Amino acid sequence: MKFIHLILKNPFRNKIRSILAIIGIAIGIATIVALGIITEGLKESTQETLKAGGADFTIVESNVSDMFLSTIDEDYINKIRDVNGVKEAVGVLTSVQPVEDTPYFVVIGIDPSKITLSQVKIAVGRSIKEEDEIIIGKVASEKLNKTVGDKISIKGENYRIVGIFESGNIQEDGGAFISLKKLQEIEDKEDKVTMIYVKAEKNANIEKIRDQIEEKYGENLTTIASLEDLQSVDQGLKTVDAASWAISLLAVIIGSIGVVNTMIMSVFERTREIGVLKAVGWKNKRILTMILGESLILTLIAAIIGSVMGVTAIQILTHLNMGGFIKPVYSLNIFLKAFIVAIFVGLLGGFYPAYRATRLEATEALRYE
Amino acid sequence: MIIDIKNLKKTFDDGKIVALDGINLQVEEGEFISIMGPSGSGKSTLLNMIGALDRPDSGMIKVAGRNLMKEKDLSSFRAREIGFIFQLHNLIPNLTVLENVEIPMFEGPYEDRMDERAMELLEYLGLADKADRLPSELSGGERQRVAIARALANDPTIILADEPTGSLDSKTEKKILEKLKELNREHKVTIVLVTHDPRVASMASRIIEILDGKIVGG
Repeated sequence: MKFIHLILKNPFRNKIRSILAIIGIAIGIATIVALGIITEGLKESTQETLKAGGADFTIVESNVSDMFLSTIDEDYINKIRDVNGVKEAVGVLTSVQPVEDTPYFVVIGIDPSKITLSQVKIAVGRSIKEEDEIIIGKVASEKLNKTVGDKISIKGENYRIVGIFESGNIQEDGGAFISLKKLQEIEDKEDKVTMIYVKAEKNANIEKIRDQIEEKYGENLTTIASLEDLQSVDQGLKTVDAASWAISLLAVIIGSIGVVNTMIMSVFERTREIGVLKAVGWKNKRILTMILGESLILTLIAAIIGSVMGVTAIQILTHLNMGGFIKPVYSLNIFLKAFIVAIFVGLLGGFYPAYRATRLEATEALRYE
Repeated sequence: MIIDIKNLKKTFDDGKIVALDGINLQVEEGEFISIMGPSGSGKSTLLNMIGALDRPDSGMIKVAGRNLMKEKDLSSFRAREIGFIFQLHNLIPNLTVLENVEIPMFEGPYEDRMDERAMELLEYLGLADKADRLPSELSGGERQRVAIARALANDPTIILADEPTGSLDSKTEKKILEKLKELNREHKVTIVLVTHDPRVASMASRIIEILDGKIVGG
């Protein structure tokens, strides 16, 4: 018999208790995994938005809590264009509109002649030219069951679908582009844009351009070139990250209490048996390893079940199609984090019961009824 | 001399209960002795001292050449030199007979060939066909034979048996005691048996009587 064989056998002597403990931890792990998948997805789609159309960087309003709440005067677009090294600057206005059954439908306003700067690839039909024309994303087309030639109503006005596009960005693919002028009009945001995409000249030093802009217009504008830049500006992403960590911590605490409880009961019931192990010459280290090992078995099984549960929950959410905002990203890091948490909970929750087992007096333990 | 005890004392409850009150005892290698006395006389405490399960307060105790008053690694001592047999078999219920016999081997010389060694012992005790059974599927006598096999796992110098037949009927009791006698005769294992029953004690070659923590006869 191998030692590991013994460790594997013990947790299932009281099946119901072990299964309950596993479920408790698995729910915590599932929460961590599901939140991780959503957070990663959110970060990735935000990053895609920043890099739209191969823009080198994006300009948003300074001191704004969320990127999409940013408002910039349109005048700045020409000023940015004049900055040394800038090849092109395009302003876009982003808004969320209820369309048919979809409560959150992203509509982006852009100058029709500059649409090439966005990442958009027309799959069917053509791009917009007139103010009453609209192109919708592939995902939106499937969801609304509309295609080229159909009409879409936004705020009581009808728009003709002239093209279906793909951009690879979940928020765009689930939404639509119309002309900037029109969106400014219906949103009552004349001469305003949400952000400015900036494309630099070939071989230009991007950092230098950003420095110039920050120097000249830093009071009102902030340049963002990467997700890290955004996180220092955007409270939304910070909050999501913090919430994700807080919930993970909570899961660790609740899971550990479950493990401590299960393992204390298990050690208590085996008092006499532990006395026998001591009598036959087992070292305290081996007894400690056995109990910690049993605790780890519980949490590792929970990690596997929890990961499956988390992924399943996300799959169900995506199938229900919650507005197309969730784009799951299954990065290895999420599952790594789940397993590290499980191991941590196993060691943390198992340590006290294991320590108690080693402190048992052999003679007392053998007398235990 | 395999066991050498001089003026050994042990109290419990901050000195209120005197369990051992100046015990002197010498046992030669290969002896089979019984320690007899009523319950509470200190006979089990004495056995626990010899098996290094508990430390004495004062006196001197040497077992298998080791001074247990000074020995640091008592668990290694127990694993290598001592085999315990308890009144209740104390087998682990979710492990098979074979696995139960292997339990002490994790700390002993047969770690690399546990299955082989455990099967040898089960054959010796006539339990080879029960190797894959659980303890709950065995009779009382069979379980106690498994406990003997487990006590022999690491080839100990001394077997310490605390009322080993206390929970068995007289017919099974006889078989178990004969097995212990055979073990002592053929394998030269020193046996120290604790009992309150004079009939059981008489199986040994020497009987030590103990009362109120003192040796009163033998």
